[in-house]
Amino acid sequence: MGWMPRQIRGRPWACGAALAACWLLPGVAQAEDAPHLPYDFSATADVRLIGVDGETSWLDGGFGKLRFGPGNGDDVRIRPQAVEGTLAWTPHLTWSLGATIVAIAQRSQDKPIDLSEAYLTFKPMPVGKVKFSARAGLLYPPVSLEHSGPEWGVRDTITPSAINSWIGEEVKTTGIEITAATEVRGNRLSLTAGLFGLNDTAGTLLAFRGWALHDEKATVFSRQPLPPLDGFLGMIQAPFTRPVISLDNRLGFYAKLTWAPPGPFELQAFHYDNRAEPKAVDSELQWGWRTRFDHLGAILDIDSRTRLTGQAITGRTRMGHKMDGATWIDTRFRSAFLLLTRQVGSGSVSARIEAFGTHSHGSVADAEYGENGWAITAAARRPITPFATMVIELIHVESRREQREDVELSPMQDQTLGQLALKLKI
Amino acid sequence: MFEMRPLAVIAALFAGTVADAADLDVQIRTPNGGPVRDAVVTLHLVRQATPLPKSSGNFAIDQQNIQFHPLVSVVPIGASVAFMNHDPVRHHVYSFSEAKRFELKVNERQVNRVVVFDKAGIVPLGCNIHDRMIAFIDVVDTPWAAKTDANGNVSFHGLPAAAVTIDVWHPYLRAPGNQVSRGAALSQGPARRESFTVALRSPPRPPDAGY
Repeated sequence: MGWMPRQIRGRPWACGAALAACWLLPGVAQAEDAPHLPYDFSATADVRLIGVDGETSWLDGGFGKLRFGPGNGDDVRIRPQAVEGTLAWTPHLTWSLGATIVAIAQRSQDKPIDLSEAYLTFKPMPVGKVKFSARAGLLYPPVSLEHSGPEWGVRDTITPSAINSWIGEEVKTTGIEITAATEVRGNRLSLTAGLFGLNDTAGTLLAFRGWALHDEKATVFSRQPLPPLDGFLGMIQAPFTRPVISLDNRLGFYAKLTWAPPGPFELQAFHYDNRAEPKAVDSELQWGWRTRFDHLGAILDIDSRTRLTGQAITGRTRMGHKMDGATWIDTRFRSAFLLLTRQVGSGSVSARIEAFGTHSHGSVADAEYGENGWAITAAARRPITPFATMVIELIHVESRREQREDVELSPMQDQTLGQLALKLKI
Repeated sequence: MFEMRPLAVIAALFAGTVADAADLDVQIRTPNGGPVRDAVVTLHLVRQATPLPKSSGNFAIDQQNIQFHPLVSVVPIGASVAFMNHDPVRHHVYSFSEAKRFELKVNERQVNRVVVFDKAGIVPLGCNIHDRMIAFIDVVDTPWAAKTDANGNVSFHGLPAAAVTIDVWHPYLRAPGNQVSRGAALSQGPARRESFTVALRSPPRPPDAGY
């Protein structure tokens, strides 16, 4: 399993107390420069104190919807946890050509170190009123309004919304993306179009597991676990999914339109279609999932320190052959959230509410595979040194999925997770 | 770091010597009475040539925390403006304005890059690396020019007692060319007071830092 110890042995409470004490250190002004690595390298590390109840996390073979669960039959578990480390290289090859290459080690990753993103950026000097830019390589499509930076870190909370958790775990594309941006009568407009491959399994987790809330990211060579599958599904599908593979050599596409009218508001519309062949399958029992979705994102700067962010998504994913007039698995999915963030000093406080659901219409995975749920999150972020930030977060999620009765679980599940994270960046 | 203050600018720009000195206070307000800061007020003589400003002086635009500072600068025609990067990242400054077309590659913490602005007009600035960076330079061909303070006020002293045109420009002013004008007859004695009420449009929300 992971590259890091699942539990810090010896004196976990001492580690936890030291972590908690960091919150009490004097804050730092954001203007101070952080130390940085030479040659355009940067590195991050993430260590957390975790208290969690509910079921074992889906990342550890259970059905829990969060990144952590108590495990080992405990009701509640509190422990320090090394979670993630990244090394990013963002060289400037010329003044208009750059690159972003990110290696990552995550707690549940099955490779010690893996590749998270690797792409070139091209931004020529504008020659008229339209500015063009391009990215090419392994990259996240521009959907999330919660992530930033080369390491694609969550900005205001620890755990991203269900929407952006799914983008992080399954929607990682390899291709080329071109953006044209201009300003018309005080309206800022930009149009982005992308062609990609190597994302044919996007949708697997949504259909088999449902939505989840976590910050574990897809990587090139690692695999994501699926919940225990039985019967026919257990025979046709591997017990894991590989997010960055192609099964049919068909290109997918996405497009995004951003409109910022005069004022503190911005609206984004995004469409994705991986054009995967639902009947395509490889020797490892990875299937093509024809996944399409539409997404709306909005940002409202209520004042200079308060921001309201919202995202909504609706889509459909299909896998397998036709049987009895329906594809084996045919899942429609939707989710939406609102995130309110207020800057406090050089830190911030945030609150998020969200709802999510899936409807299953497949001939094999029928209606009982559908789910409905909601989650609420509160978080506070506080820089304590130029290179260290503390983030504290409380998240509660509840959901219902009838298919859980097949494995003798209650259809209902709920889980609460408290995290105190020390995030280091140089 | 150089910060341009109205009175300092006046001192730097004032070229001629006039015996019959007049004073002028200009106040810029929004329709609901709020102050308009960073509005550039320029004066030109009517029916006679306005003297050119002296181009000497220290003018600088800082790049700090991925922003230009200040948002609006007033410099005399022919001025040399230093672009001082205090950020630990590079900036690729450019403008496509009629008054000045240039691009300037400024390395991390590089503070010795200078551009000469030799034509009067508005020069919007951008950074090709960081789209959210924006600033404006008003290159003026008059010795009497300054921008309003946080209270929306600017004062001129030692002006010629003559008829002048007062131009008010702001990057988001709702008017053709983002500018309004009026005439005034200046005379010796107590400072003349001119009030402008202007509507500002909201700029679009700047893009986030992005990838």
